[in-house]
Amino acid sequence: MTVTTASTRTLPAARVLDAVKVYGSGDTGVRALDGVSVDFPAGRFTAIMGPSGSGKSTLMHCAAGLDTLTEGASYIGDTDLGSLDDRRLTLLRRDRVGFVFQAFNLVPTLTVEENIRLPLDLAGGKGDPEWIDALIDVVGLRDRLRHRPAELSGGQQQRVAVARAFAGRPDVVFADEPTGNLDSRSGGEVLGLLGRTVRRTGRTVVMVTHDPVAAAHADEVVFLADGRLVDRMENPTADSVLDRMKALEASSGAAATSRTWTEGPV
Amino acid sequence: MNASLRLSVSSLRAHKRRFAGTFLAVFLGVAFLAGTLVMGDTLRAGFDTMFGNATSGTDAVVRSAEAITTPGESQGVREPVTTDLVRTVEQVPGVAAAVPDIQGAGQLVGANGKPIGGQGPPTLAGNWIDDPKLNPYELAEGRAPKRSGEVVVNRGTAEKGHLKIGDTTVLRTPDPVEVTVVGLATFGGEDGMAQVTFTGMTRADAEKYLTARPGEASTIQVRAGPGVSQRELVERLTRVLPQGVEAITGQESTEENTDMISSQFLSVFTTLLLVFSGIALLVATFSIHNTFAIVVAQRTRENALLRALGASRRQVTASTLTEASVVAVTASAVGIAGGIGVAAGLQALFPAIGFPFPEGDLVISALSMLLPLAVGVVVCLGSALLPAVRAGRTAPLAALRETAVDQSGASRVRAVTGAGLAALAVALTLTGVLVSPSLWLAATGAVLALGAFVVLGPVASTTAVRVLGGPLGRLRGVTGSLARRNALRSPRRTAATASALMIGVAVVSLFTVFGASLKATMDQTVSRSFAGDVAVSTPSFGAGGSGLSPRLAGVLQALPEVDTAVGLGRGVAEVDGKGRALTVTDPLALERTFDLGTVRGSLRGLGTDGIAITRTEAQKQGLTTGDRTRLTFTDGEKDTFTVRAVYGRSELAGDYVITRTAWAPHRTQDSDTLVAVSFKDGVSAGAGKAAVEKVAARYGHPEVQTRDEYAQSSAGGIDMMLTLVYALLALAVLIALLGIANTLTLAIHERTRELGLLRAVGQTRSQLRAMVRWESVLVAAFGTVGGLTLGAFLGWVLVKASDGTSDSTFAFAVPPLQLAVVTLVGLTAGALAGLRPARRAARLDVLRAIATE
Repeated sequence: MTVTTASTRTLPAARVLDAVKVYGSGDTGVRALDGVSVDFPAGRFTAIMGPSGSGKSTLMHCAAGLDTLTEGASYIGDTDLGSLDDRRLTLLRRDRVGFVFQAFNLVPTLTVEENIRLPLDLAGGKGDPEWIDALIDVVGLRDRLRHRPAELSGGQQQRVAVARAFAGRPDVVFADEPTGNLDSRSGGEVLGLLGRTVRRTGRTVVMVTHDPVAAAHADEVVFLADGRLVDRMENPTADSVLDRMKALEASSGAAATSRTWTEGPV
Repeated sequence: MNASLRLSVSSLRAHKRRFAGTFLAVFLGVAFLAGTLVMGDTLRAGFDTMFGNATSGTDAVVRSAEAITTPGESQGVREPVTTDLVRTVEQVPGVAAAVPDIQGAGQLVGANGKPIGGQGPPTLAGNWIDDPKLNPYELAEGRAPKRSGEVVVNRGTAEKGHLKIGDTTVLRTPDPVEVTVVGLATFGGEDGMAQVTFTGMTRADAEKYLTARPGEASTIQVRAGPGVSQRELVERLTRVLPQGVEAITGQESTEENTDMISSQFLSVFTTLLLVFSGIALLVATFSIHNTFAIVVAQRTRENALLRALGASRRQVTASTLTEASVVAVTASAVGIAGGIGVAAGLQALFPAIGFPFPEGDLVISALSMLLPLAVGVVVCLGSALLPAVRAGRTAPLAALRETAVDQSGASRVRAVTGAGLAALAVALTLTGVLVSPSLWLAATGAVLALGAFVVLGPVASTTAVRVLGGPLGRLRGVTGSLARRNALRSPRRTAATASALMIGVAVVSLFTVFGASLKATMDQTVSRSFAGDVAVSTPSFGAGGSGLSPRLAGVLQALPEVDTAVGLGRGVAEVDGKGRALTVTDPLALERTFDLGTVRGSLRGLGTDGIAITRTEAQKQGLTTGDRTRLTFTDGEKDTFTVRAVYGRSELAGDYVITRTAWAPHRTQDSDTLVAVSFKDGVSAGAGKAAVEKVAARYGHPEVQTRDEYAQSSAGGIDMMLTLVYALLALAVLIALLGIANTLTLAIHERTRELGLLRAVGQTRSQLRAMVRWESVLVAAFGTVGGLTLGAFLGWVLVKASDGTSDSTFAFAVPPLQLAVVTLVGLTAGALAGLRPARRAARLDVLRAIATE
């Protein structure tokens, strides 16, 4: 089932091996991931696509150490996440992983600057001031540093979240439908920002999305259906992704209707 | 079931945990209240039965008609009757038996050499009445006293002093009498009449040691023959009794005794408990209000949806109130059951600590069930009323907005109202305290001050938390500053949560400050008025103790080390129509050992018809030196005394001073309350004290104390009172803590996604726990600091108001150590309150938290 194309140049930033995730047990158990193996190459912007219920959010959660696998293994760099306890997982997320969620990315009581520095402050370190300074310019929020999240627009909030995700120079940034709550113009800005950051700074981004336009910003798209990896596509365009998705939904559409766990936009 | 009821029931079922705090607050308050009422009734009934049993054989009591009551005493002093009357009474037809009852103060010394009792309840001695029906005490073991020196002791006293039959010990009458215990007695079936100690001696001994002259008795107990009713007996007796002597029925006598116990002990005790359950319920009000306010805020969208779907304001309000009443009724009902449990527990506990709780079933009256129920429901509904009204006002459009979290804080109206209230409060109290001393003005001001604090809470909380939490960010980094900002998020909520603790802490600090001030006052009094080197006294409290032998002063005076030894005795007389305590002493020696301030006239030669009065009393009665005033003694004699001296300080010497010779004809059992000793020049304090102690040992081992020791021991009762008050206030503080914990739990529920985000980006569980705990500590710190301020202010008001409205000068003292302890307890309590919510927050599943919609 494994499809490997162009990812053997360097050590992948993150990968999962034979990942199985079952929610519930026995007859009512749902196999959200059904033996997925995938590498996310370092220095690349990878999108995970798939119809609703295909397991794409679950894959991301497990790869990022937010959730644990039922079977199989997941790695950040060469660290096996299954061998870490909650505390080490937390520290790993803090020091080596960045997150951008669909919504509610920012702590309302903290200012923009404090939100960006949050993982560094939690670690008790100073981070790299030049890097953070540069990040602030890249996301274009220098004049908003003292504002509270409630005073920003949705697009601005997501840009702050992107800056926060990159602040600690993480090995990999996971983005879960980062544009799901945004209009297309703001969404485009955020996606452009993610892409630019990867290309300029050599960071790694893994993004879950259901939107072919968003996926087209990535270097590569992996397709999931029914908990399995079904395809990969290099240099995607919105049209080519859309075509592939239509094909996937035609073949496995029925399966998606019975999924009830939280995943993607409802 | 109508719609709003169905909604409330399903909401309650879904959010049981949210109301756990409310439930507990109401439960504790109601249980305490119900327990107090049931215990009060049970004690009262128990004493009734006990006295009934003990004195059922007495059909009539013959005694002096007139009693003189001095302020602060519930039982007057009566002149004894002559025992000759017994013969007259015996000859009245229908009298089966009549015996004299001789009673006086007599404190037994226990096996360890320490006096038994004396801290409140009376320590009595009397003649052992051989007629078992007329003797309220019943011989339980051993035999009645036959020879001089033999005594019967009530069992409770014997147990407390570890005395057995056959043991020899000392009875202070106050002259030390060597006695041998030959029997143990019970009172109405119990080990004693509450904590009262009783020593029964032979009649001859009793006359010798307990009366001023032989042939006197406190009362004559009379038993009727068959077929003669109590009333009939009294009528027949009255015909033969001389003037000034009366007869009352046995039943009336019993009622008087039980009334005395009720008013002296039970009322004070139950009132105290009721006050504290009131405080606990007041604190509960804040906690409950807060819970409902938060729940309503969290349910804004749900309520808005209901309104959008066509529910009326009234229906939404009603559904919240219904929820409140279900909680109120359940919690109150369970609380009443808990109260009965509390009373039953106390009934079991009291005997264990040496307090004979009268046996018998708990007396559960309708009042003690219905009142707590009503109070619980009213408190709960009253607290939920405002939030419920607010729920009804939810705009239907709110359903479409983002989740509305309570952001309301310091409105201008609030700030202005609060400031106005505070200004009025301060103005009123200052007027009541400084300008025209009035307790009422001061009290009104104090209540207003409390109101001002509550109103200003949200305004102050922002500044206060910012200041208090300032160091937190530096100390604990981002965890600390997150905690601080969370506490700042909703000023109103923070203030309401802290208010509960604030009231508790305020009352604690009020008592602490007042207690310390009383101590300082006593200290100041002793150091100012006591000019001697050592004080000899028997530490006692209330009606207990038997005082000092009146001969002690004389013996001490004879010591080569002693310059002056003066005993202060106590007499009673009516002056200007009111009962007054007289100081019976040697006025000249008094002047040498006490600082009496400026003395006009002379204390020399008061003789048998001279009196010295303090300036304040003299002014009140318009007397100056040379004027005459009439004193009425307990024996009915009216003598005219000439005011020979007016002195300035009354604190230790009392308001009226007469000589021993003047008092002698009217005296009863003689005792001195204090012997003040000053040493000759060149005698070291240690040598002098040792010499005095040696002599005192022969007079029943009273305490010999230096000035400082004496001042400290005078304040001993205050510490006891404070301990009791602290124990009772613990309940209010506990409820306040439940409130903090509850608010935090609800806030955490509200911030689920935020907490999930924090965890996702790398906050460790221990950082998260610390963050919640610090928030709790900050809220507690705000409450504690507010409480300390308010309590210290109220303490100052109380001290100054007491100072302004009474004759003696009060000192104001702020005890830094105790208040530091209060602060520390407040903060620790805050940290404890945060423990559980912090643990729950840390258990949060990251994935679920960020996925929650």
